[in-house]
Amino acid sequence: MIKTTQWIAVCLILCLSVGTAFSQGLSPPSNVTAMDTPNDNGSSITITWDAAAEGSGISGYQILRRIAGGELEAVGDLLPAGTMNYVDSAIEKGTTYAYIVRAVGETEATVDSEQTGPAEGTGEWFHTGKTPLFIAMLLFSAAIVWNIYNARSGKEVFVRRIPGLEAVDEAIGRATEMGRSILYVLGLGGVSGVATVASMTILAQVARRTADYETPLRVPCNDPIVMNVVREMVKTAYLEEGHPDAYNEENIFFLTEDQFAYAAGVDGIMVREKPATVFLQGSFAAESLILAETGNSIGAIQIAGTDSEHQLPFFIAACDYTLIGEELYAASAYLSKEPMLLGSLRGQDWGKVLIFGAIALGVILELSGIPWITTLLQRVN
Amino acid sequence: MKRQVPLVLCFLFGVVMCFTQFSPHSFSQSIYDEVVYWALIMSPFALAVGTITLIQTHVIRIRRRTEHWQYSFVVFAGLLTMVAIGLPFGPQHPAFAWLFNNVQVPLDATMFSLLAFLIASAAFRAFRARTFEASLLLISAMIVLIGNVPVGDLIWNTVLSWLPWDNGASEARQWILGNPNLSARRGIILGVSLGVISQAIRLILGIERSYIGGGD
Repeated sequence: MIKTTQWIAVCLILCLSVGTAFSQGLSPPSNVTAMDTPNDNGSSITITWDAAAEGSGISGYQILRRIAGGELEAVGDLLPAGTMNYVDSAIEKGTTYAYIVRAVGETEATVDSEQTGPAEGTGEWFHTGKTPLFIAMLLFSAAIVWNIYNARSGKEVFVRRIPGLEAVDEAIGRATEMGRSILYVLGLGGVSGVATVASMTILAQVARRTADYETPLRVPCNDPIVMNVVREMVKTAYLEEGHPDAYNEENIFFLTEDQFAYAAGVDGIMVREKPATVFLQGSFAAESLILAETGNSIGAIQIAGTDSEHQLPFFIAACDYTLIGEELYAASAYLSKEPMLLGSLRGQDWGKVLIFGAIALGVILELSGIPWITTLLQRVN
Repeated sequence: MKRQVPLVLCFLFGVVMCFTQFSPHSFSQSIYDEVVYWALIMSPFALAVGTITLIQTHVIRIRRRTEHWQYSFVVFAGLLTMVAIGLPFGPQHPAFAWLFNNVQVPLDATMFSLLAFLIASAAFRAFRARTFEASLLLISAMIVLIGNVPVGDLIWNTVLSWLPWDNGASEARQWILGNPNLSARRGIILGVSLGVISQAIRLILGIERSYIGGGD
């Protein structure tokens, strides 16, 4: 008798729940799919479903998942109404999951979607979203490589005049005539910084000239690894110029890794030793103006160069010559006049032409109401 | 051999690290993480090299009695004090933290605050209206300076109230920063990006080899 009563109660509750759900128009989420998230390392599955109709009474969604043959478990928090997808990042690789999206009504009534097919997270070897970027990189690299090897045939490569680099010989000559040293500051970058590597290649060219003129070259370093590389580079430059005896290892030294302590140290060297020429080449931050203004105050000829666009105005204001952005990277080729290096500059210019062409085309298309290039760039993002 | 091995390693790591940027697979990401981890391992060794060089430099300064050689003792005093407290007790020790917060931080702040005066002296030189370009720079700078302070708009709205635009100072500042300034910056950034790729290709292909001592 008791059992019958219990059954009637359970049936009543079920009927009431279903009745409430139907009275609210609470329908189960439709078109629920679960698939491996594209372009990731296989650590997530994306679940998508159709948006509920307006006035459906749905206040949120709860994602449930099940490992094959296992129990249903809730994943994440209750998602707000209007959500149409969920990325489950708490999965184990190699495990297959099936999902159910549970719609939760305003009166806490719930209705479940159909269970999705099995889905497993797999890592992709290539990020398809980066295809345009990859193609652009390949094209640009090919242009540079083609120009580099074309330059080996002996074709003369025109390089526009860069005043900052034209002045290098003059600056070194001035220091030699005055009998003073040259101070070369590599900035704050580590050896992995491209600007620092570019600066080191300029230093190699400067060292060749100072070796010839036997002018002291002082290089205070911010990074011990950079210091060791620079020592080796300058030593080789002196050896190759036939003046190994003029090389003094003590002139290339570690100062400190701290930004402002480094600035204070370099300023101190400038004020005490009064170098005739100061090179500020590499990666700089807030200390750029502190260094450049001190160099200016001692009357040194200053040649600066950086790819930090925020520091460029300071260098332009305080230094005699400034290599702006890409000129820093062109300096090595410009100073060495090596055909293969000069060839790479032409390749770089091809890249610029390509970009300017794309910008002009994008503007024209956008004005004509065709957003192809904008869409492409947004996809790359 | 001394040159070939670094060049081959540079090529291999350059190409592999480049492709890890296009491959989200856990294998390629683990290679990337591993190589970055190797770079981190080098830091303690670099610190040791740096400390030894620093000591050598200042010992030489003291021995040769170069100008202001006495200050080298301050370097040793600072170095020894921080090592004596930091090594046995760690950087969380109150004495270590006190020295850091009350010596290094104010010294750094002092150097940083010098910028305010240096900007003024550099601006004075840069803004001398001797050429057309310098005059343009001066006018733009004045507009940006005035547009940056609230009184700028007050002056505009009071003195130039007959003009149809309100808050013209801040609007003009915004236009200068958002149009000519931003365009120039983006142009520089594009050039820098291409320069970086070009430099990287030269390094990877071993065409630029002065960083390993130059030569063939």
